[in-house]
Formats: sequence, structure tokens, C-alpha cells
Amino acid sequence: MFKYILGRIGAMLLTLFLVMTLSFWIIRLMPMSIFENPEVSPEIQRKLEDRMHLHEPMAVQYYYFIEGIVTRGDFGTSVKIRPGLDVFEILSTRIPATVVLNVFSLLLSIPLGIIFGTWAALKRNKMTDTVISFFIVVFISVPSFVFASVLQYMFTFVWPIFPTLYNAQSPNFAVRLYSMVLPIIALSLNPIASIARYLRGELIETLSSDFMLLARTKGLTNTEATFKHAFRNSLVPIANTIIPMITGIMGGSLVIEKIFSVNGMGGQLIDSILGGDHFLTVALLIFYSAISLFTILVVDISYGIIDPRIRVGGKK
Amino acid sequence: MTVYDIHAPLPDELMHLSEDDFTPQVREHTLDEIGKSSSAGFYRDALRRLRQSKASIVSFWIILLIIVLAFTVPLFTGYSYTQQNVKGKNLPPRIPVLENIGIADGSMVLTNRKKSSLDNTKRFPEGSVLSVVREYTANNVEVVDVKVDYYIYSGVDPHEYHWFGTDYLGRDIMTRLFTGTRISLLIAFISVITNVIIGVIYGSIAGYYGGKIDMFLTHFAEVLDGLPYIVVTILFMLLFGSGMFSIILALTVTGWIGTARLIRAQFYRFKGREYVLAARTLGVPDRTLIFRHILPNTVGPLITRAMIAIPGAIFSESFLAYIGLGIKPPEPSIGVLLSVGQSVLLQYPTQTLFPALLISVLMIAFNLFSNGLRDAMDPTLRGEEG
Repeated sequence: MFKYILGRIGAMLLTLFLVMTLSFWIIRLMPMSIFENPEVSPEIQRKLEDRMHLHEPMAVQYYYFIEGIVTRGDFGTSVKIRPGLDVFEILSTRIPATVVLNVFSLLLSIPLGIIFGTWAALKRNKMTDTVISFFIVVFISVPSFVFASVLQYMFTFVWPIFPTLYNAQSPNFAVRLYSMVLPIIALSLNPIASIARYLRGELIETLSSDFMLLARTKGLTNTEATFKHAFRNSLVPIANTIIPMITGIMGGSLVIEKIFSVNGMGGQLIDSILGGDHFLTVALLIFYSAISLFTILVVDISYGIIDPRIRVGGKK
Repeated sequence: MTVYDIHAPLPDELMHLSEDDFTPQVREHTLDEIGKSSSAGFYRDALRRLRQSKASIVSFWIILLIIVLAFTVPLFTGYSYTQQNVKGKNLPPRIPVLENIGIADGSMVLTNRKKSSLDNTKRFPEGSVLSVVREYTANNVEVVDVKVDYYIYSGVDPHEYHWFGTDYLGRDIMTRLFTGTRISLLIAFISVITNVIIGVIYGSIAGYYGGKIDMFLTHFAEVLDGLPYIVVTILFMLLFGSGMFSIILALTVTGWIGTARLIRAQFYRFKGREYVLAARTLGVPDRTLIFRHILPNTVGPLITRAMIAIPGAIFSESFLAYIGLGIKPPEPSIGVLLSVGQSVLLQYPTQTLFPALLISVLMIAFNLFSNGLRDAMDPTLRGEEG
């Protein structure tokens, strides 16, 4: 077990390191100066560049970049969006909203997905199943930002139940959460559908296996047999959908945050990309990778604990 | 089995038998002929199964229709996708025939207008006011919500028709939407085809040669696959700059890995088969073994995979457009239209409605079709995750 966890953490750190390397080289390969700004005098520009070691060889710059991040958590300073401000500080104000949004959407989608998947499988080939399967296809296919637009129009304009935009100012967490309901729903529809679809397929297969026949023969009702024997068996393979789902939610949240102007990393990322603030962009991308890799790590490890086959045989 | 009482009179149909009832039955085919009828091959069999699934057939026609529309509609609207019209900004949809029954008649409700201004022909040209929806007083001023013919109101030629309305620069949305669909589809198809080609070559080499080469290639792909997809795509978009070609490149950076993995697994399944061994013994070179003898076995799953990847690519393109890394501005794409429409969603909902509808229908059709294709190609996988 210990070895397994160590292996997973090692893989995660390696990936993070790769993200940093890739970001560094890509930003430095771009054909323009990081400080291109006509209002800054050449002297100051030169000094700034010196401070950022921009006149050293690339390999040395690379060393400074990695060293800064690893030893001091120094991601550089913002140069365009909020000049002079430490990137890490900007980030720390932006992370909480994103994390709350993603975590709530994850917490909402897993149980709902399981409920709908089980329901559809139990009522296989009946009306309920058809209806659920139809919605599964719709929710899997239609992009989350389309749902976001629809929800925003319907529930803030036609029936004004929810506030149009995220209310970041309110000191009351409940009020903030209430204004976050629509983004959470928009973000959750797709994962709910993918869990439900996977679980339905998995359960239907398990329900037709021999041990289910045995369970029925020894006198359990269909529901009892399903929940005692089939259900747990089908839950384990869901790990296969949960990991891509997390990446899906994280990606979707970038756009959803923009639509509902949640002051998370997504909006900041868009601003920094459009504004050409590359240090900020890179830091955001690294943090974004770190969060998603960490979530995947947690899922991986918890599944290693639940199902011994995973930690012995690797991902299969 | 019915038991007849032998003393009872015979049933009716047996009492009246004619001469014809005693002619021998002629066999339509000889036994030899039956055996000779062509056996259904894998693809014909798959096609037969595909035809049985109604959802797949319907989605196939929908996809085809959208593709045809994407190429023809911009030719017939009479506008180009860059043609701007300063007067006709944000016009609501107006469609011939439908306008007579009150749908898409180019009208719009303007709220909070001073009642006195209604008589001002500069603000409200003659014939523009259709009806007053609501009258009330605010701050001692009589205010009205008024339904106007927005085309006359903005001073556009009243014989102009914009089926889906116009955007903030007065460009015809229908032309832009279908031109954009063409671009989005092109991006999706080209990137998926590129991914398949790279994946096939990479996977074939890894799967066929095995050993150290396989180990190296597989590990490399695995490391690359571990990188968060969105981060990699955004980084490469930054490097390549915006534009259609860059999007395709960015989507190929990690997009080929799944295909490569699939092909590699198929190669492991087939390379040890006797027929491959026989061909090798006969001195068939590696290249022929790979492309002639083993690869055709993988075509089925490959087509399925490519079809499943297409909606994913369309999604990624829209996603990048939202982030501001999409197609270069005057060019439209579904994603660009959606993100532009989203910014004025509450004022002009139709600007979001049409792109949103189109992308939803397209995605659902592609998903249903590829599900049907998967079931048809591999019946054992029915209902499983792809």
C-alpha cells in the first residue's frame, strides 16, 4: 500500500515538473519580449529584464525559474494585468472560489449520477429507463456552457429565482453559495450523466451474472440482491469515469466562471491570456494542473484502499 | 396436438379438397444455390446492424443535413459573413412566411421608454410602433414598454430579412453561423484525421516491434497523457497563436494518444496469429505485414473511435473560443458565436439561441451515431463505455 501511494505521488510530481518545464519553454519561445510596453523607458525595461534574469542563457533562466518555484514558491510578478503584484498573491485570492465551485459540483454529481444510473438499470427497458437514457445522451452531448447560458436566461431573467452573477462581496457564505447554485448545476449535468451511463451499463452486466441468480435463488428480493451484491461490485469501475470527469469539471469551470463572473481562476486565466501576462498565465496553469492532479491522486489512493486489485495490478 | 374423434364428420376444409391441393411443392432454390449465396462480410454485417438502429440512422441524416447546410446556406443568404451594417445592429430574427403568424417577425419589446417620445418620428419612425405592452408612471413620468418592428425602428430597409437576426456589428447571424459550422466541422475532421494517422503509425510501431521500443514509446505516451489536457492545449495555443491551423495543431498534441493505445493493443492481439506467422515465414516484409495483414483488423474500432472524437473536437474548439484563444476575429466558428452571444444573452437571447441549438443538435447527433456505430461494429461491447 505504502509503495503504491509513493508511486502515485512520484508520478504526480513528475507530471507537475513536466508542466512547469513545458510552460517555461513555451513562454520563452514566443516571439516577443515579456515586457513589451512603450510607456516604460528602456532603462527601466532593461533593469526589469535584469531582475528576471532575461539576459542569461536559457538553461540558467530555466534553473532560476524552477528554483524559484520549488524553494520559495516564487512564480514571478504580474507584468500586465496587475503590474508589480506577486503572482502568488493574486492566485491565492482566486483559488478558493474555484475550489468551492468544483468541490460542490463533484459532491452533487457523484450521488445523483449513482442514483439515476441505478434507477435506470433496475427499470431496464421500461419507460423510466428510456427517459433517463434520453436525458443521459442530451446531458453528455450538450456542452456545459450551453447549459450555463440556458440556466442563466431561464432562472435569472424569465423566472428571476437566482442572481444573475456570482455575489463575491457578500460576507455571508450562504448568500455566496446561493448565487453559486446555477454555475454548480451547469457544471454538474454532464458528470451526472456520464456516471449514470457508466453505472447503468455496469449494473446491467452485473445483474445478469451467476452470483445474482444465486442470490435470487436463496430468496432475496430483486432490490435486496441488487443492493447487497450487485451494487458494490459496480461501484468500483466507476473510478474509470471519475478521473476524466474531474478534468472535465475543472475545464468546464474555466468557462462557467466567466459566464457567471465567479472570481475564480478561470476569469483570471482568460484575462491574463488576453492581456498577454505570461507569468500569471503560467502560474495559473501550473496551479490548475496541481489542483487537478491532486484530486486525481486522492481518487487514485482511495480506490487503492477500497479495491486491492487496483494497487496490485496497476490501473486496469 | 388436436385429437380428432374418428366418428365425427370431417372438418370443413378437408371435405372440399381440389385437384390443386395435391400438386407437389416446387423448391425455389436448389440446396447448392442456398449454400452459394454470398456470405455477409464484417462490414456488411455491421452496416445491417447499423441500419436497424433508428437513432443512428436519424442522426446520420441530421449530420449530413447540417454539413450540406453549412456549405450551401452562406451562398444563398445574400450576405457575406464579414459584411457589416452599422444601422442594423442586433436585429431580431425575421423569417418570411413565419413572420405572418407572429414568430420571428422582427419585433422586439423595448422597455422604459418615455411615452411622449412615441410621437417623435426621429426616435420611432412611422409604422415602427406595433403595440404598447405596458404603461406605468415612474418618477412622475409616463413610461411605456413598447413592442416595435425593430427593422423599421433601426431604419433598415424593411424588405431585408435576417433569418437569425444580426450581431453587434450588424452581420447576418445565419451566414456567420453556417460558415462557422463549416469551420468548426473542418477543424474537428482535420484534427481527428491527423490524430488517427499519428496514432496508427505510433501504435503500429509500438505494438508490432514490442520489446524495448514498445516500452519507450508507451512510457512516453503515458507521461504526455498525464499532463492535464486543457493546460497542454492552452499552452500550445499560446505558442501557435490563434487561428484555425493552430487549433488543429493544439488538438493534436495529445489527441493521438488514445488511438495509439488502441492500435497497440490490437497489434498485440493479432501479431501472434498463425496467418501472420505464415506470411512472415514466406518472407513478407514488416511494412506489408503491418499494413496489409494486421492493420485491416483494427479498422472497425478505429472508425468508431474517430467518430467519438469528433464531438470532442467541436467542444474543444468552442471551449478555446470562450477562453479567447479561438479563431481569428472576422472568421466565425460555433464557439466564437456562442461566446459573443453569451455576452449579450439577457438583451438579445436569440444571438445565443441559434448557435446553442446548432451545437447541441450536432453533438447529440454525433454521439448517437457513434454509439450506434460502436454497437454495430462490436456487438459484444453493447451498452459499455467507449
